[in-house]
Amino acid sequence: MAFMYVTFTSLLVGGLMGLLQTFVRSGKYTLPFGIDYYTILTVHGVILGLVMTTFFIIGFQFSLMGKTVGLTDKQRKAAWWSFWIMLAGTIMASVMVLTGQASVLYTFYAPLRAHPVFYFGLALVIIGSWIAVFINFRQLYLWRKANKGQKSPLLAYMVTINMIMWVIASLGVAVSVLVLFIPWSLGYTATINVLLSRTLFWYFGHPLVYFWLLPAYMAWYAIIPKIIGGKILSDSLARLAFILLLLFSIPVGFHHQLTEPGIDATWKFIQVVLTFMVVIPTLMTAFSIFATFEATGRKKGYTTLFGWFRKLPWKDVRFLAPFIGMVAFIPGGAGGIINASHQMNALIHNTIWVTGHFHLTAAMTSVLTFFGITYWLVPHLTGRRLTPRLNKLGIIQSLTWTVGMLIMSTAMHIQGLLGGPRRSNFSEYAGGAQVDTWISYQMAQESADRFSSLPSS
Amino acid sequence: MKNKNPKPQHTKSNESTIHFKGTFIAVMLLGVIMVASWFGVYALFLSR
Ligand code: HEM
Ligand SMILES: [Cu+2]
Repeated sequence: MAFMYVTFTSLLVGGLMGLLQTFVRSGKYTLPFGIDYYTILTVHGVILGLVMTTFFIIGFQFSLMGKTVGLTDKQRKAAWWSFWIMLAGTIMASVMVLTGQASVLYTFYAPLRAHPVFYFGLALVIIGSWIAVFINFRQLYLWRKANKGQKSPLLAYMVTINMIMWVIASLGVAVSVLVLFIPWSLGYTATINVLLSRTLFWYFGHPLVYFWLLPAYMAWYAIIPKIIGGKILSDSLARLAFILLLLFSIPVGFHHQLTEPGIDATWKFIQVVLTFMVVIPTLMTAFSIFATFEATGRKKGYTTLFGWFRKLPWKDVRFLAPFIGMVAFIPGGAGGIINASHQMNALIHNTIWVTGHFHLTAAMTSVLTFFGITYWLVPHLTGRRLTPRLNKLGIIQSLTWTVGMLIMSTAMHIQGLLGGPRRSNFSEYAGGAQVDTWISYQMAQESADRFSSLPSS
Repeated sequence: MKNKNPKPQHTKSNESTIHFKGTFIAVMLLGVIMVASWFGVYALFLSR
C-alpha cells in the first residue's frame, strides 16, 4: 500500500512539474510565431495560477495526510479518480486556451466569452478537487475514530483547514461556472450578470490565494523546524493561526473589486476591515518562525543577539528556498495591505503593480516554498537521496529564480506606481518582460535538469 | 486534559529560559516596514 501511495503522489508532483515546464516553454517558444499575447497570458495564468498550484497542493496534502493519518486502498483508488478528473478538465481547458478559443485570462471576466469546453474543463477540475477534499476529510475522520480523544496530528489538521476553505470558496466559482457561464457560452442565455459573475469569482479568488499560501505555512510551521533541527514554537499557536486565516479568508473578495461601481461602499468598507484582520495570523506566523529559529540557535549555544540567525542551514536548499519565500512575503504582504486600503487601491488597481504584488506573494512566497518542499518530498517519496550535487543545483535554481523575480517584480511595482497598465501588450515593461522570458526559461532548464538527474542519484 | 503528560511542562520551562530578544526586534522591524511602505504610498496618493 505504501508503495502505491508513493507512486501516486510522486506521479502527481512529477506530472505537475512536467506541465509547468512544457507550458512555460511552449509559452515562450511559440510567442514569436504570431500567437496572440492574450492567449499566452491566459496560458500563463491558468496553468501556473490555477492548475499547477492546485495539482501540487493536492498532491502535497495527500502525502502529508498519508504520512500522518494514513491512506487506505479504497481512498487511494478514489484519489486516482480525483487526479484523472482534474487532469481531464485541465486538458479540456488547455486545448481551448491553446487554440485561441478561450483567451479570457485566468479570471475569465465576463463579458469575455470562452468556448463552452473551457468552462466544462474548469468544472471538472473543481469536481476532481472535491473528491480529494472528501478523501482528506475521510482520512482524518477514520484516524479520529481509531484514536479517540487524541489531538489530531498538526499537519493533518492544517490540511483539513485548507480543504474546508477550498470547499467554501470553490462553491462560488462552481456556481458561477455552472449557473452563469456555461448556459451563456452555450447560447441558452442571451446575457450574463457581469457584476455577479465577478463577485462570485472573487468570493473564490481571494481564498484561492490563501489556498496557495497555507501549504507554504504548513511547511514553515511543521517541516522547516525539522530541517533546521529544532522544533515548532507552539502547536496551538499554529492551529489558531490557521483557524484565523480560515475565518478571514472568506468575506474579503470585495478587496479585488474596490473600483467596481455596483457594490455599496459600506460592504466594501466591511470587507476591507476583515481583510486587514489577516495581519494578526500573519504576524503570529512571523513571530513563530523567528522564535523557532532563535530557540533552535540558542539551544545550539549561540548567545549573541543575531548569532542564531547566521547559523541557520543556508547551504541546504530545503531551507534556503522556503526562507527566501518568507522574506518575499514581507514586501508582498506590505503591498497587499496597500492594495486593500480602499482609497489607495485607486492608485494601483489595474496597474502592473498588482502583477508585481502577486509575483512576490504567489511566485516567490508560495512557489519557492513549494520548490523547497519538492526537494524534501521527492526524495522522501521515492526513497532517494538529495545528493550534495543536486542540492547545489537546487540552490542555483532557487537563486536564479529569486534574482529574476526580484528584478521583475521591483520593476513592476515601480512602473505600476507610475501608472503602467497590467494585462496590456503595448506598454513598455521596464525590462520586466525580458526578465520574465529569461527566468522561466532558466527555471524550465533547471528543473528539467533536476528531475532528469534525480533517478540517477 | 493533556496535562498528565509531563512533556508540555518540560518544554515550558525550557522556553522560559530562552531569550527571544532577536525575535522581538525582528517582528518589530516587520511592523515598521509595513507601516513605512504604507505611508510611502499614502504620501504618493495625497500628492496626486
Ligand atoms: C498579506 C495579505 C494580502 C493582502 C492584504 C492582499 C491584498 C490584495 C489586493 C487588495 C489585491 C487586489 C489589487 C487590485 O487588483 O486592485 C490583490 C491582488 C492579488 N493578490 Fe494579494 N494580498 C495578500 C496576499 C497575497 C498572497 C499570499 C497571494 C498568493 C499567494 C496573493 C495573490 C494575489 C493575486 C494573484 C492577485 C491578483 C488578482 C488579479 O488578477 O487581479 N496575495 N491582493
Ligand atoms: Cu485577495
